[in-house]
Amino acid sequence: MTGAEKSDDDRALAGEYVLGVLPPEEARAASARIATDPEFAALVAEWRADLATLADEVEPVAPPARVWRATERRLFGRARRRWWAWAAPVALAAALAAAVVFWPSFAPRAPVPPAAPAYRAELVAQDGDLRLAAAYDAEAGTLFVAREGAAAPVGRALELWIIAGDDAPVSLGVLPDDPATVVMVAPELRAALDGAVLAVSDEPAGGSPTGQPTGAVLATGALTEA
Amino acid sequence: MATRDDLEHWLARTAQGDRAAFGALYRHTSAKLFGLALRILKDRGEAEDALQEIYVKVWHAAGRYRVNGYSPMTWLITLARNHAIDKVRRRRAGGGALDDVAELADARPGPEAEAVARSERGRIEACFDELDADRAEAVRRAYLDGESYADLAERFAVPLNTMRTWLRRSLLKLRECLER
Repeated sequence: MTGAEKSDDDRALAGEYVLGVLPPEEARAASARIATDPEFAALVAEWRADLATLADEVEPVAPPARVWRATERRLFGRARRRWWAWAAPVALAAALAAAVVFWPSFAPRAPVPPAAPAYRAELVAQDGDLRLAAAYDAEAGTLFVAREGAAAPVGRALELWIIAGDDAPVSLGVLPDDPATVVMVAPELRAALDGAVLAVSDEPAGGSPTGQPTGAVLATGALTEA
Repeated sequence: MATRDDLEHWLARTAQGDRAAFGALYRHTSAKLFGLALRILKDRGEAEDALQEIYVKVWHAAGRYRVNGYSPMTWLITLARNHAIDKVRRRRAGGGALDDVAELADARPGPEAEAVARSERGRIEACFDELDADRAEAVRRAYLDGESYADLAERFAVPLNTMRTWLRRSLLKLRECLER
């Protein structure tokens, strides 16, 4: 096959992929190529942008107000408050477990959420399998993190990142298997916490080898004033 | 009409948990995405459910918008279209799932790819006009109705392989025209 034929083949394949007409196994193969073949990824991106303009042919229709109300309820309704409520019991259970294990020797400081956090964040994975609650203790310069749901699979680690404004993510370390932990926030980061985004990514055991997230971002959430 | 800058600003604020920005994004884009969901799903109740699910995804995925290099409308339209088509296909219990936003974020074409695409409506319309009417219709039906090769082969009464050859040729003609 000549180079030109090969790239024609890829052009058509990328278009078929974006249209969604490929048989499942070919679609999977194309999807895998996007991650490893930047030229193919660029072809896919071109088709996505070009074909999206076909949506201009469709007449806009104002949705009824109940759709927005239901969306808001789903995202910010009672579930949100209920959700925060589990973090304290999780931490308490962890503290009790630690106290039992280490009693009567000096109990190590089991992670406890700050009584008056300056900032809080909620991180929920899209599939809902992983949820984290974070609370920042301004006095101690520490971030309390409670996790519920999926732990990292064997040989993988969950790494916590903080992204302040347009800066590159800064690692806050790999999350332990414990349901609650406390991590130090470097002094130079403390001034930029308002509105900063916390993220958890899937990394090789021991954490990202590059200092930047290398695996899928599993959950994100912004720090907001508590 | 909101500008690209407005949409990018609202998406960035949404990623930081700003509900007011998310509300503004919804007010300015929901009619377009609802029209698209209606066209694909052809059922009002299902389109309403889909729209809710689409904006729940937008809320959670907004933080990944900036890394993927698409224009905000391309990103929103692709997210909405793929979600609605997945719903149609689940209903029909056939066909593979389309990309989710997570995968979309991984394509990382860079801002220049988007610029190269030069995807104004007029250009793509003119290029569709260069195709035979039924071939242009096949591409439209695949994109806007989520029709598969099997659906298209039946509609145009040709064997499946012929349909695939047609569509691939049409795509190459379109690409050649768009790059002219």
